[in-house]
Amino acid sequence: MRTTEETRQSFAIRMRNVEKRIGEFQLKIEDLTLEEGRIHGFIGGNGSGKTTAAKLMMGILSPDAGTIERKDLGPRDITMTSQRPYLLHDTVYANLVYPLRVRGRKPEESQVRALLARFGLEDKAKQYARSLSSGEQQKLSMLRALIFEPRFLIIDETLSNMDPESVEQFEEMILDIQKKNPVTWVIISHRLSHVYRLCDRLHFFSRGSVLASGTGDEILFKSSEPEIRRFMSKEMIRSGSAES
Amino acid sequence: MNVIEKLVGSLFSDVGVYDAIRVTLCMSVCSTLLSSAIGIALGLALERFSFPGKRIVVRVNRTLMGVPPVVVGLVVYMLIMRRGPLGFLGILFTVRGMILAQTLIITPIICGMTYSYAVKTAPAVRVFARTMGANRRQTSILLVREMKYELYFAMISGFGRSISEVGAVMLVGGNIKGNTRTMTTAIALLKSQGIFHEGLTLGLLLLVMAFVIQCLADFLRREVQEEENY
Ligand SMILES: Nc1ncnc2c1ncn2[C@@H]1O[C@H](COP(=O)(O)OP(=O)(O)OP(=O)(O)O)[C@@H](O)[C@H]1O
Ligand SMILES: [Mg+2]
Repeated sequence: MRTTEETRQSFAIRMRNVEKRIGEFQLKIEDLTLEEGRIHGFIGGNGSGKTTAAKLMMGILSPDAGTIERKDLGPRDITMTSQRPYLLHDTVYANLVYPLRVRGRKPEESQVRALLARFGLEDKAKQYARSLSSGEQQKLSMLRALIFEPRFLIIDETLSNMDPESVEQFEEMILDIQKKNPVTWVIISHRLSHVYRLCDRLHFFSRGSVLASGTGDEILFKSSEPEIRRFMSKEMIRSGSAES
Repeated sequence: MNVIEKLVGSLFSDVGVYDAIRVTLCMSVCSTLLSSAIGIALGLALERFSFPGKRIVVRVNRTLMGVPPVVVGLVVYMLIMRRGPLGFLGILFTVRGMILAQTLIITPIICGMTYSYAVKTAPAVRVFARTMGANRRQTSILLVREMKYELYFAMISGFGRSISEVGAVMLVGGNIKGNTRTMTTAIALLKSQGIFHEGLTLGLLLLVMAFVIQCLADFLRREVQEEENY
């Protein structure tokens, strides 16, 4: 009984008493634990510190104080797609296989082509990556993160410029991966509709700290924080009116 | 080839036009390659490492980018003249001496351009490389690859500067016919002899070379910018 409890609770990344100051902005996270094999959602308004927290997890920034534990995660097991994707001055194909090259792995042509075809990029393999449309660029950056099968992925607003169908396809793909070989995800968004359905847990950011963590329903319906309630009600009205 | 040689020969009086073109190209190519190797390495290192006094180094480098070449020529002359500290090298009035002076003039330009491109490019490339799991060596290689057009452009600018320079080359090389006479110093000589039309023809030739180089630079720049989807 205890062992199952322990494995259930084992974490991929845990931040404790982490502080980071950037200019005027102060991030302060007392305890943020991301359980292994789960899909986590970071939500919160603009400038609330979601990206900054993600960069700390990636090791792109180092904290001023506190500890960040990464359990069994080497630098090659973890990846992040950035809000504004960085694409190499090269073709779509070269961008897609870059993480494989880094690992000395040879790309399997058929697999790469199938992946591109699944998201409507099959004709664009030889196109200059930076000439793609913004949604296509986001797709490419997403596929590039998935191709080497990392164990921890941070998806920072990467779904925001994709059409609804592509978003759905990626969601399916994510759920597919979770069924076969679960990895840990952090999906950052300020759109509730993107994360509510997908995520096992949500973490609500506000002014540089995590105001609440819990399941989608816990955050949505049970939170007593006025700020969360306000954020949620606005989101509900928006997605409600969009559907009708 | 012979016909052209005769044709060009009949166009010019006895200033050694062929040799001047050969010397110009040899000197410019050598000094550009040398300066590129040193300047690119220094520019990247300057971006990569921080150390006390770095801002001063950057400022000094910016100043050197605009130093009058003739001043560099004078300094190099004093260094390599027979009684100078580097007199034992015996490179005064040789192409090697000219390459040394030119390298000193162009290196700060290439270094400065490399540095400013690197400052703009490197942070994003480093973050990206980190997310892709690249190690240090792979990150450095990636950075150079991502900057390759800009680096070509810096090299071309250096080359353009090199073929058009007169003062330093005159001081250090001595404008010896068939030996250290370049296209620009030949023009200076032709002018002093009052043979303007030949000077102009040679000048036109230089202009054509500069134009070709600019086309090349433009072509590279276009390749980078035109395809981008902003
Ligand atoms: N390099 C920097 N210099 C100064 N301020 C910064 C820097 N990076 C981030 N900040 C500030 O830190 C705050 C948090 O930024 P962060 O990118 O983490 O927000 P976010 O929650 O991801 O917002 P968004 O939803 O808009 O992406 C912002 O107010 C931003 O202005
Ligand atoms: Mg952000």
